[in-house]
Amino acid sequence: MSFEVSSEVDYSPTVIEHFERPRNVGHFDPAPDVIVATAGRRDQGVQFHLSAQVAGSVIRAVRFEVYGCPHCIAAGSWLSQRLVGATLDELRSWSWREAADALQMPAEKRGRLLILEDAVRALAEAWGRLA
Amino acid sequence: MNTTIYLDYAATTPVDPRVAQRMIECLLPSGEHGNPSSAGHAFGRRARALVEKARAQVAASIGARPENIVWTSGATESDNLAILGVARFHADRGRHIVSSRTEHKAVLDALKQLEREGFEVTYLKPDSQGIVHPQQVSEALRSDTQLVSLMHVNNETGVIHDIAAVGQLCRERGVLFHVDAAQSVGKLPIDVQAQCVDLLSVTAHKAYGPKGIGALYVRRQPPIGLRPILHGGGQESGLRSGTLATHQIVGMGAAFELAAAERESDCARLRVLRDRLWQGLAAIGNVELNGHPEQRVSNVLNASFHGVEGESLQFALRELAVSAGSACSSASEEASYVLRALGRSDQLAQSSLRFSLGRFTTDAEIDIAIDAVGREVRRLRQLGNAS
Repeated sequence: MSFEVSSEVDYSPTVIEHFERPRNVGHFDPAPDVIVATAGRRDQGVQFHLSAQVAGSVIRAVRFEVYGCPHCIAAGSWLSQRLVGATLDELRSWSWREAADALQMPAEKRGRLLILEDAVRALAEAWGRLA
Repeated sequence: MNTTIYLDYAATTPVDPRVAQRMIECLLPSGEHGNPSSAGHAFGRRARALVEKARAQVAASIGARPENIVWTSGATESDNLAILGVARFHADRGRHIVSSRTEHKAVLDALKQLEREGFEVTYLKPDSQGIVHPQQVSEALRSDTQLVSLMHVNNETGVIHDIAAVGQLCRERGVLFHVDAAQSVGKLPIDVQAQCVDLLSVTAHKAYGPKGIGALYVRRQPPIGLRPILHGGGQESGLRSGTLATHQIVGMGAAFELAAAERESDCARLRVLRDRLWQGLAAIGNVELNGHPEQRVSNVLNASFHGVEGESLQFALRELAVSAGSACSSASEEASYVLRALGRSDQLAQSSLRFSLGRFTTDAEIDIAIDAVGREVRRLRQLGNAS
Protein backbone atom coordinates (compact mmCIF):
# COMPACT_ATOMS: atom_id res chain seq x y z
CA MET A 1 0.00 0.00 0.00
CA SER A 2 1.41 3.41 -0.90
CA PHE A 3 0.22 6.82 0.12
CA GLU A 4 0.54 10.10 -1.67
CA VAL A 5 2.20 12.55 0.69
CA SER A 6 3.70 15.97 0.31
CA SER A 7 7.43 16.20 0.90
CA GLU A 8 8.11 18.38 3.90
CA VAL A 9 11.78 18.59 4.69
CA ASP A 10 14.07 20.99 6.49
CA TYR A 11 16.61 21.12 3.69
CA SER A 12 17.03 23.93 1.18
CA PRO A 13 16.84 23.13 -2.54
CA THR A 14 20.61 23.70 -2.77
CA VAL A 15 21.26 21.17 0.00
CA ILE A 16 18.98 18.63 -1.63
CA GLU A 17 20.63 19.16 -5.02
CA HIS A 18 24.15 18.59 -3.64
CA PHE A 19 22.98 15.66 -1.46
CA GLU A 20 21.40 13.94 -4.42
CA ARG A 21 24.19 14.72 -6.86
CA PRO A 22 27.35 15.43 -4.90
CA ARG A 23 30.19 16.85 -7.00
CA ASN A 24 33.82 15.78 -6.83
CA VAL A 25 33.45 12.86 -4.44
CA GLY A 26 36.62 10.96 -3.69
CA HIS A 27 40.25 11.83 -3.12
CA PHE A 28 43.47 12.40 -5.05
CA ASP A 29 46.24 9.89 -4.63
CA PRO A 30 49.37 11.27 -2.96
CA ALA A 31 51.44 13.36 -5.35
CA PRO A 32 53.79 16.36 -5.10
CA ASP A 33 51.01 18.77 -6.08
CA VAL A 34 48.34 17.22 -3.82
CA ILE A 35 47.45 18.52 -0.36
CA VAL A 36 45.10 16.79 2.08
CA ALA A 37 43.31 17.63 5.31
CA THR A 38 40.91 15.92 7.69
CA ALA A 39 38.74 17.40 10.44
CA GLY A 40 36.12 16.01 12.80
CA ARG A 41 35.47 12.52 14.13
CA ARG A 42 33.06 9.86 12.98
CA ASP A 43 32.14 8.95 16.53
CA GLN A 44 31.05 12.55 16.99
CA GLY A 45 28.93 12.42 13.86
CA VAL A 46 30.92 14.59 11.40
CA GLN A 47 34.15 14.05 9.54
CA PHE A 48 35.42 15.86 6.45
CA HIS A 49 38.33 14.75 4.29
CA LEU A 50 39.53 17.19 1.65
CA SER A 51 42.20 16.74 -0.97
CA ALA A 52 43.25 19.28 -3.58
CA GLN A 53 45.57 19.62 -6.53
CA VAL A 54 47.45 22.91 -6.57
CA ALA A 55 48.73 24.57 -9.71
CA GLY A 56 51.07 27.45 -8.94
CA SER A 57 49.26 29.96 -6.77
CA VAL A 58 45.77 28.54 -7.12
CA ILE A 59 43.83 25.36 -6.45
CA ARG A 60 43.12 23.41 -9.63
CA ALA A 61 40.71 20.78 -8.35
CA VAL A 62 39.19 19.53 -5.10
CA ARG A 63 37.86 16.15 -4.00
CA PHE A 64 35.95 15.52 -0.79
CA GLU A 65 34.70 12.67 1.35
CA VAL A 66 32.36 13.16 4.26
CA TYR A 67 30.64 11.24 7.02
CA GLY A 68 27.78 13.37 8.22
CA CYS A 69 24.26 14.68 7.84
CA PRO A 70 22.79 15.88 4.52
CA HIS A 71 23.91 19.45 5.28
CA CYS A 72 27.49 18.23 5.71
CA ILE A 73 27.42 16.26 2.48
CA ALA A 74 26.03 19.28 0.65
CA ALA A 75 28.61 21.57 2.27
CA GLY A 76 31.47 19.31 1.17
CA SER A 77 30.14 19.14 -2.36
CA TRP A 78 29.53 22.88 -2.54
CA LEU A 79 32.99 23.62 -1.17
CA SER A 80 34.66 21.33 -3.69
CA GLN A 81 33.45 23.68 -6.42
CA ARG A 82 33.91 26.89 -4.47
CA LEU A 83 37.61 26.34 -3.77
CA VAL A 84 38.64 25.85 -7.39
CA GLY A 85 40.81 28.84 -8.30
CA ALA A 86 41.28 29.90 -4.69
CA THR A 87 44.64 31.24 -3.48
CA LEU A 88 46.41 30.33 -0.27
CA ASP A 89 45.33 33.62 1.31
CA GLU A 90 41.71 32.98 0.37
CA LEU A 91 41.92 29.55 1.93
CA ARG A 92 43.37 30.97 5.14
CA SER A 93 40.60 33.55 5.46
CA TRP A 94 37.69 31.34 4.38
CA SER A 95 34.78 31.42 6.81
CA TRP A 96 32.04 28.90 7.45
CA ARG A 97 29.49 31.71 7.07
CA GLU A 98 29.87 31.66 3.30
CA ALA A 99 28.73 28.02 3.16
CA ALA A 100 25.97 28.66 5.70
CA ASP A 101 24.55 31.43 3.55
CA ALA A 102 24.92 29.58 0.27
CA LEU A 103 23.23 26.46 1.60
CA GLN A 104 20.69 28.25 3.84
CA MET A 105 21.76 26.15 6.78
CA PRO A 106 19.48 26.19 9.85
CA ALA A 107 21.04 27.71 12.96
CA GLU A 108 21.29 24.39 14.80
CA LYS A 109 23.41 22.92 12.02
CA ARG A 110 25.89 25.77 11.66
CA GLY A 111 28.22 24.37 14.29
CA ARG A 112 29.02 21.52 11.95
CA LEU A 113 30.37 24.00 9.42
CA LEU A 114 33.02 25.02 11.94
CA ILE A 115 34.44 21.54 11.42
CA LEU A 116 34.48 22.18 7.68
CA GLU A 117 36.28 25.47 8.37
CA ASP A 118 38.83 23.51 10.42
CA ALA A 119 39.36 21.24 7.41
CA VAL A 120 39.88 24.23 5.09
CA ARG A 121 42.36 25.80 7.53
CA ALA A 122 44.22 22.48 7.77
CA LEU A 123 44.30 22.36 3.97
CA ALA A 124 45.82 25.85 3.94
CA GLU A 125 48.48 24.73 6.42
CA ALA A 126 49.29 21.73 4.24
CA TRP A 127 49.61 24.08 1.27
CA GLY A 128 51.85 26.35 3.28
CA ARG A 129 54.13 23.43 4.06
CA LEU A 130 54.12 22.47 0.37
CA ALA A 131 55.16 25.96 -0.58
CA MET B 1 3.97 15.15 -4.30
CA ASN B 2 5.73 11.82 -4.30
CA THR B 3 4.88 8.23 -3.52
CA THR B 4 6.06 7.04 -0.16
CA ILE B 5 5.90 3.43 0.94
CA TYR B 6 4.46 3.11 4.40
CA LEU B 7 6.55 0.83 6.61
CA ASP B 8 5.77 2.44 9.94
CA TYR B 9 2.84 0.35 11.17
CA ALA B 10 4.32 0.18 14.67
CA ALA B 11 3.89 3.96 14.87
CA THR B 12 0.30 3.81 13.73
CA THR B 13 -1.87 1.92 11.28
CA PRO B 14 -4.42 3.21 8.81
CA VAL B 15 -8.00 2.45 9.75
CA ASP B 16 -9.18 -0.73 8.05
CA PRO B 17 -11.93 0.25 5.54
CA ARG B 18 -14.24 -2.29 7.18
CA VAL B 19 -13.72 -0.48 10.50
CA ALA B 20 -14.10 2.97 8.99
CA GLN B 21 -17.47 2.02 7.54
CA ARG B 22 -18.76 1.04 10.97
CA MET B 23 -17.53 4.31 12.43
CA ILE B 24 -19.10 6.48 9.75
CA GLU B 25 -22.46 4.93 10.46
CA CYS B 26 -22.28 6.35 14.00
CA LEU B 27 -21.54 9.89 12.91
CA LEU B 28 -24.37 10.67 10.52
CA PRO B 29 -27.80 12.02 11.46
CA SER B 30 -29.24 8.73 10.29
CA GLY B 31 -26.84 6.78 12.51
CA GLU B 32 -26.30 6.17 16.22
CA HIS B 33 -25.03 9.62 17.14
CA GLY B 34 -26.69 9.86 20.53
CA ASN B 35 -24.86 10.26 23.82
CA PRO B 36 -24.49 6.77 25.30
CA SER B 37 -25.20 8.26 28.73
CA SER B 38 -28.59 9.60 27.60
CA ALA B 39 -30.62 6.65 28.80
CA GLY B 40 -33.87 8.63 28.58
CA HIS B 41 -34.29 8.35 24.81
CA ALA B 42 -33.79 5.85 22.01
CA PHE B 43 -30.80 7.65 20.44
CA GLY B 44 -28.86 7.33 23.67
CA ARG B 45 -29.92 3.76 24.32
CA ARG B 46 -28.95 2.64 20.81
CA ALA B 47 -25.54 4.31 21.15
CA ARG B 48 -25.12 2.65 24.54
CA ALA B 49 -25.84 -0.73 22.97
CA LEU B 50 -23.09 -0.15 20.39
CA VAL B 51 -20.64 0.91 23.11
CA GLU B 52 -21.40 -2.23 25.10
CA LYS B 53 -21.05 -4.42 22.03
CA ALA B 54 -17.63 -2.90 21.38
CA ARG B 55 -16.71 -3.40 25.04
CA ALA B 56 -17.51 -7.08 24.66
CA GLN B 57 -15.46 -7.27 21.44
CA VAL B 58 -12.39 -5.72 23.08
CA ALA B 59 -12.83 -7.88 26.19
CA ALA B 60 -13.11 -11.05 24.13
CA SER B 61 -9.92 -10.27 22.25
CA ILE B 62 -7.88 -10.30 25.48
CA GLY B 63 -9.68 -13.02 27.42
CA ALA B 64 -11.51 -10.60 29.70
CA ARG B 65 -15.11 -9.89 30.67
CA PRO B 66 -16.79 -6.70 29.38
CA GLU B 67 -16.99 -5.16 32.86
CA ASN B 68 -13.17 -5.25 33.01
CA ILE B 69 -12.83 -2.73 30.16
CA VAL B 70 -12.46 1.02 30.83
CA TRP B 71 -12.46 3.27 27.77
CA THR B 72 -9.64 5.83 27.58
CA SER B 73 -8.17 8.13 24.95
CA GLY B 74 -5.38 5.69 24.11
CA ALA B 75 -2.47 3.72 25.55
CA THR B 76 -0.84 6.80 27.08
CA GLU B 77 -3.89 7.52 29.18
CA SER B 78 -4.32 3.83 29.99
CA ASP B 79 -0.71 3.61 31.18
CA ASN B 80 -1.11 6.75 33.28
CA LEU B 81 -4.39 5.60 34.80
CA ALA B 82 -2.94 2.20 35.64
CA ILE B 83 0.36 3.37 37.09
CA LEU B 84 -0.65 6.61 38.79
CA GLY B 85 -4.02 5.18 39.78
CA VAL B 86 -2.66 2.11 41.53
CA ALA B 87 0.36 3.81 43.08
CA ARG B 88 -1.62 6.69 44.56
CA PHE B 89 -4.44 4.48 45.79
CA HIS B 90 -2.05 2.08 47.54
CA ALA B 91 0.60 4.60 48.58
CA ASP B 92 0.29 3.62 52.22
CA ARG B 93 0.95 -0.04 51.36
CA GLY B 94 4.30 0.48 49.66
CA ARG B 95 6.13 2.95 47.49
CA HIS B 96 8.28 0.73 45.32
CA ILE B 97 7.61 -0.05 41.65
CA VAL B 98 9.51 -2.31 39.23
CA SER B 99 9.67 -1.55 35.52
CA SER B 100 12.24 -1.57 32.71
CA ARG B 101 14.47 0.92 30.90
CA THR B 102 12.91 0.15 27.54
CA GLU B 103 9.30 0.97 28.36
CA HIS B 104 7.37 3.47 26.27
CA LYS B 105 7.62 7.11 27.39
CA ALA B 106 4.01 6.92 28.52
CA VAL B 107 5.13 4.51 31.23
CA LEU B 108 8.52 6.06 31.96
CA ASP B 109 7.15 9.57 32.33
CA ALA B 110 4.31 8.38 34.57
CA LEU B 111 6.93 6.65 36.73
CA LYS B 112 9.02 9.83 36.82
CA GLN B 113 5.99 11.67 38.11
CA LEU B 114 5.65 9.09 40.88
CA GLU B 115 9.32 9.52 41.76
CA ARG B 116 8.60 13.22 42.24
CA GLU B 117 5.80 12.16 44.60
CA GLY B 118 8.20 10.10 46.72
CA PHE B 119 7.97 6.67 45.08
CA GLU B 120 11.02 4.59 44.27
CA VAL B 121 11.30 2.86 40.89
CA THR B 122 13.66 0.05 39.86
CA TYR B 123 14.32 0.16 36.12
CA LEU B 124 15.47 -3.26 34.92
CA LYS B 125 18.11 -3.37 32.20
CA PRO B 126 17.38 -5.66 29.25
CA ASP B 127 19.98 -8.08 27.91
CA SER B 128 21.80 -7.28 24.68
CA GLN B 129 18.87 -8.66 22.70
CA GLY B 130 16.37 -6.41 24.43
CA ILE B 131 14.74 -8.94 26.76
CA VAL B 132 13.95 -8.33 30.42
CA HIS B 133 13.83 -11.77 32.07
CA PRO B 134 11.29 -12.88 34.69
CA GLN B 135 14.18 -13.78 37.01
CA GLN B 136 15.27 -10.12 36.99
CA VAL B 137 11.77 -9.08 38.02
CA SER B 138 11.73 -11.68 40.76
CA GLU B 139 15.04 -10.46 42.16
CA ALA B 140 13.88 -6.83 42.09
CA LEU B 141 10.71 -7.39 44.13
CA ARG B 142 10.80 -6.09 47.71
CA SER B 143 8.42 -6.22 50.63
CA ASP B 144 7.24 -2.71 49.76
CA THR B 145 6.81 -3.34 46.00
CA GLN B 146 3.23 -2.64 45.02
CA LEU B 147 3.38 -2.71 41.22
CA VAL B 148 5.34 -4.21 38.31
CA SER B 149 4.88 -2.56 34.91
CA LEU B 150 6.35 -4.34 31.90
CA MET B 151 5.50 -3.99 28.23
CA HIS B 152 4.40 -7.06 26.28
CA VAL B 153 6.13 -6.08 23.03
CA ASN B 154 8.77 -3.40 22.69
CA ASN B 155 7.76 -0.71 20.23
CA GLU B 156 11.23 -0.18 18.77
CA THR B 157 12.63 -3.70 18.48
CA GLY B 158 9.47 -5.81 18.57
CA VAL B 159 10.91 -8.17 21.20
CA ILE B 160 8.40 -10.09 23.30
CA HIS B 161 8.46 -10.31 27.08
CA ASP B 162 7.27 -13.43 28.86
CA ILE B 163 4.38 -11.70 30.61
CA ALA B 164 2.80 -14.99 31.69
CA ALA B 165 5.89 -15.87 33.74
CA VAL B 166 6.11 -12.37 35.21
CA GLY B 167 2.39 -12.39 35.93
CA GLN B 168 2.67 -15.71 37.71
CA LEU B 169 5.47 -14.58 39.99
CA CYS B 170 3.74 -11.26 40.73
CA ARG B 171 0.57 -13.13 41.67
CA GLU B 172 2.56 -15.42 43.98
CA ARG B 173 4.22 -12.43 45.64
CA GLY B 174 1.05 -10.39 45.97
CA VAL B 175 2.25 -7.61 43.67
CA LEU B 176 0.01 -5.97 41.07
CA PHE B 177 1.06 -6.43 37.43
CA HIS B 178 0.47 -3.89 34.66
CA VAL B 179 1.23 -4.65 31.00
CA ASP B 180 1.47 -2.10 28.20
CA ALA B 181 0.16 -4.20 25.31
CA ALA B 182 -0.14 -1.39 22.75
CA GLN B 183 2.08 -3.26 20.28
CA SER B 184 0.83 -6.79 20.78
CA VAL B 185 -2.87 -6.71 19.84
CA GLY B 186 -3.25 -8.56 16.55
CA LYS B 187 0.30 -9.87 16.78
CA LEU B 188 0.21 -12.15 19.82
CA PRO B 189 -2.50 -14.00 21.74
CA ILE B 190 -3.45 -12.18 24.93
CA ASP B 191 -5.28 -13.85 27.79
CA VAL B 192 -5.27 -11.70 30.89
CA GLN B 193 -6.65 -14.54 33.02
CA ALA B 194 -4.11 -17.14 31.99
CA GLN B 195 -1.27 -14.61 31.98
CA CYS B 196 -2.16 -13.31 35.48
CA VAL B 197 -2.35 -9.70 34.33
CA ASP B 198 -4.08 -7.20 36.64
CA LEU B 199 -4.02 -4.14 34.37
CA LEU B 200 -3.46 -4.06 30.61
CA SER B 201 -3.22 -1.03 28.32
CA VAL B 202 -4.37 -1.23 24.72
CA THR B 203 -5.00 1.26 21.95
CA ALA B 204 -6.99 1.12 18.73
CA HIS B 205 -4.66 2.88 16.32
CA LYS B 206 -1.96 0.21 16.35
CA ALA B 207 -4.51 -2.37 15.23
CA TYR B 208 -6.25 -0.70 12.27
CA GLY B 209 -8.66 1.23 14.47
CA PRO B 210 -8.93 4.99 14.94
CA LYS B 211 -6.56 7.24 16.88
CA GLY B 212 -7.82 8.79 20.10
CA ILE B 213 -9.39 5.72 21.68
CA GLY B 214 -7.93 3.07 23.93
CA ALA B 215 -8.83 0.94 26.89
CA LEU B 216 -7.51 -0.24 30.20
CA TYR B 217 -8.29 -3.74 31.37
CA VAL B 218 -8.82 -3.66 35.12
CA ARG B 219 -9.09 -6.90 37.08
CA ARG B 220 -12.29 -6.88 39.16
CA GLN B 221 -12.08 -10.16 41.11
CA PRO B 222 -10.75 -9.37 43.62
CA PRO B 223 -11.04 -5.63 42.93
CA ILE B 224 -8.01 -3.42 42.42
CA GLY B 225 -7.93 -0.07 44.14
CA LEU B 226 -7.50 2.53 41.42
CA ARG B 227 -7.64 6.29 41.83
CA PRO B 228 -8.96 8.08 38.70
CA ILE B 229 -6.91 10.81 37.06
CA LEU B 230 -9.86 12.49 35.32
CA HIS B 231 -12.85 13.78 37.27
CA GLY B 232 -16.25 14.73 35.91
CA GLY B 233 -19.40 12.92 34.91
CA GLY B 234 -18.49 9.63 36.58
CA GLN B 235 -18.56 7.54 33.42
CA GLU B 236 -16.83 4.16 33.36
CA SER B 237 -17.69 3.44 37.01
CA GLY B 238 -16.05 6.68 38.00
CA LEU B 239 -12.65 5.57 36.68
CA ARG B 240 -12.72 7.70 33.55
CA SER B 241 -15.10 10.62 33.29
CA GLY B 242 -15.98 12.08 29.91
CA THR B 243 -18.60 11.57 27.22
CA LEU B 244 -18.04 8.26 25.50
CA ALA B 245 -16.91 8.67 21.88
CA THR B 246 -19.31 6.24 20.27
CA HIS B 247 -17.80 6.19 16.78
CA GLN B 248 -14.26 5.65 18.07
CA ILE B 249 -15.36 2.98 20.52
CA VAL B 250 -17.28 1.19 17.78
CA GLY B 251 -14.16 1.44 15.60
CA MET B 252 -11.98 -0.03 18.33
CA GLY B 253 -14.38 -2.89 18.92
CA ALA B 254 -14.54 -3.74 15.23
CA ALA B 255 -10.78 -3.43 14.83
CA PHE B 256 -10.04 -5.71 17.78
CA GLU B 257 -12.53 -8.30 16.58
CA LEU B 258 -10.81 -8.32 13.18
CA ALA B 259 -7.38 -8.38 14.82
CA ALA B 260 -8.28 -11.51 16.75
CA ALA B 261 -9.93 -13.21 13.78
CA GLU B 262 -7.14 -12.43 11.31
CA ARG B 263 -4.13 -12.54 13.63
CA GLU B 264 -2.73 -15.88 12.53
CA SER B 265 -3.07 -15.30 8.79
CA ASP B 266 -1.79 -11.69 9.06
CA CYS B 267 1.22 -12.76 11.11
CA ALA B 268 2.13 -15.69 8.88
CA ARG B 269 2.11 -13.46 5.80
CA LEU B 270 4.05 -10.65 7.47
CA ARG B 271 6.68 -12.99 8.88
CA VAL B 272 7.54 -14.14 5.35
CA LEU B 273 7.77 -10.52 4.14
CA ARG B 274 9.77 -9.41 7.19
CA ASP B 275 12.25 -12.28 6.82
CA ARG B 276 12.69 -11.53 3.14
CA LEU B 277 13.34 -7.88 3.99
CA TRP B 278 15.98 -8.93 6.51
CA GLN B 279 17.69 -11.22 4.01
CA GLY B 280 17.84 -8.32 1.58
CA LEU B 281 19.24 -5.90 4.16
CA ALA B 282 21.74 -8.36 5.60
CA ALA B 283 23.12 -8.94 2.09
CA ILE B 284 24.27 -5.29 2.04
CA GLY B 285 26.88 -6.19 4.65
CA ASN B 286 27.77 -4.61 8.01
CA VAL B 287 24.12 -4.52 9.03
CA GLU B 288 23.16 -5.58 12.54
CA LEU B 289 19.78 -6.78 13.75
CA ASN B 290 18.53 -5.08 16.91
CA GLY B 291 16.56 -7.28 19.27
CA HIS B 292 16.15 -10.99 19.74
CA PRO B 293 16.11 -12.79 16.36
CA GLU B 294 13.23 -15.12 17.27
CA GLN B 295 11.50 -13.75 20.35
CA ARG B 296 9.87 -10.83 18.55
CA VAL B 297 6.67 -10.05 16.72
CA SER B 298 6.34 -10.93 13.05
CA ASN B 299 6.08 -7.44 11.60
CA VAL B 300 8.98 -5.47 13.12
CA LEU B 301 12.58 -5.30 11.91
CA ASN B 302 15.07 -2.94 13.54
CA ALA B 303 18.53 -2.79 12.00
CA SER B 304 21.70 -0.75 12.46
CA PHE B 305 23.78 0.22 9.43
CA HIS B 306 27.49 0.57 10.17
CA GLY B 307 29.39 3.34 8.42
CA VAL B 308 26.34 5.44 7.58
CA GLU B 309 25.30 8.60 9.38
CA GLY B 310 21.75 8.35 10.69
CA GLU B 311 20.18 11.56 9.43
CA SER B 312 21.59 11.12 5.94
CA LEU B 313 20.33 7.55 5.86
CA GLN B 314 16.86 8.65 6.87
CA PHE B 315 16.78 11.49 4.37
CA ALA B 316 18.20 9.35 1.56
CA LEU B 317 15.41 6.87 2.20
CA ARG B 318 12.59 9.38 2.36
CA GLU B 319 10.70 7.34 -0.22
CA LEU B 320 10.21 4.90 2.67
CA ALA B 321 8.15 5.92 5.70
CA VAL B 322 10.19 4.26 8.45
CA SER B 323 11.25 5.27 11.95
CA ALA B 324 14.83 6.20 12.74
CA GLY B 325 16.90 5.61 15.84
CA SER B 326 17.06 9.31 16.45
CA ALA B 327 15.14 12.49 15.94
CA CYS B 328 18.16 14.04 14.33
CA SER B 329 16.52 16.15 11.67
CA SER B 330 14.43 17.93 14.25
CA ALA B 331 17.67 19.14 15.90
CA SER B 332 17.26 16.78 18.84
CA GLU B 333 20.16 14.41 18.40
CA GLU B 334 19.39 12.15 21.31
CA ALA B 335 19.84 8.55 20.23
CA SER B 336 17.15 5.98 20.94
CA TYR B 337 17.20 5.12 24.66
CA VAL B 338 15.91 1.66 23.82
CA LEU B 339 18.83 0.85 21.52
CA ARG B 340 21.30 2.38 23.98
CA ALA B 341 19.85 0.13 26.68
CA LEU B 342 20.72 -2.82 24.42
CA GLY B 343 24.32 -1.61 24.46
CA ARG B 344 24.40 0.12 21.09
CA SER B 345 26.62 3.21 20.83
CA ASP B 346 24.93 6.56 20.26
CA GLN B 347 26.34 6.62 16.75
CA LEU B 348 25.06 3.16 15.85
CA ALA B 349 21.68 3.81 17.45
CA GLN B 350 21.36 6.90 15.27
CA SER B 351 22.19 4.80 12.21
CA SER B 352 19.29 2.46 12.89
CA LEU B 353 15.95 2.12 11.17
CA ARG B 354 12.79 0.42 12.29
CA PHE B 355 10.78 -1.16 9.49
CA SER B 356 7.31 -2.20 10.61
CA LEU B 357 5.05 -3.99 8.18
CA GLY B 358 1.31 -4.29 8.24
CA ARG B 359 -1.91 -5.57 6.77
CA PHE B 360 -1.56 -3.54 3.59
CA THR B 361 2.15 -4.13 2.92
CA THR B 362 2.79 -5.82 -0.41
CA ASP B 363 5.55 -8.02 -1.84
CA ALA B 364 6.37 -5.28 -4.33
CA GLU B 365 6.86 -2.72 -1.56
CA ILE B 366 9.36 -5.00 0.17
CA ASP B 367 11.28 -5.37 -3.11
CA ILE B 368 11.38 -1.58 -3.50
CA ALA B 369 12.52 -1.15 0.10
CA ILE B 370 15.36 -3.68 -0.26
CA ASP B 371 16.57 -2.00 -3.46
CA ALA B 372 16.36 1.51 -1.98
CA VAL B 373 18.17 0.68 1.23
CA GLY B 374 20.93 -1.19 -0.57
CA ARG B 375 21.43 1.59 -3.09
CA GLU B 376 21.52 4.41 -0.54
CA VAL B 377 23.62 2.65 2.09
CA ARG B 378 26.26 1.85 -0.54
CA ARG B 379 26.15 5.41 -1.86
CA LEU B 380 26.53 6.99 1.57
CA ARG B 381 29.32 4.62 2.53
CA GLN B 382 31.15 5.53 -0.67
CA LEU B 383 30.74 9.23 0.11
CA GLY B 384 32.48 8.74 3.41
CA ASN B 385 35.00 6.25 2.16
CA ALA B 386 38.24 7.76 3.46
CA SER B 387 36.91 10.26 5.93
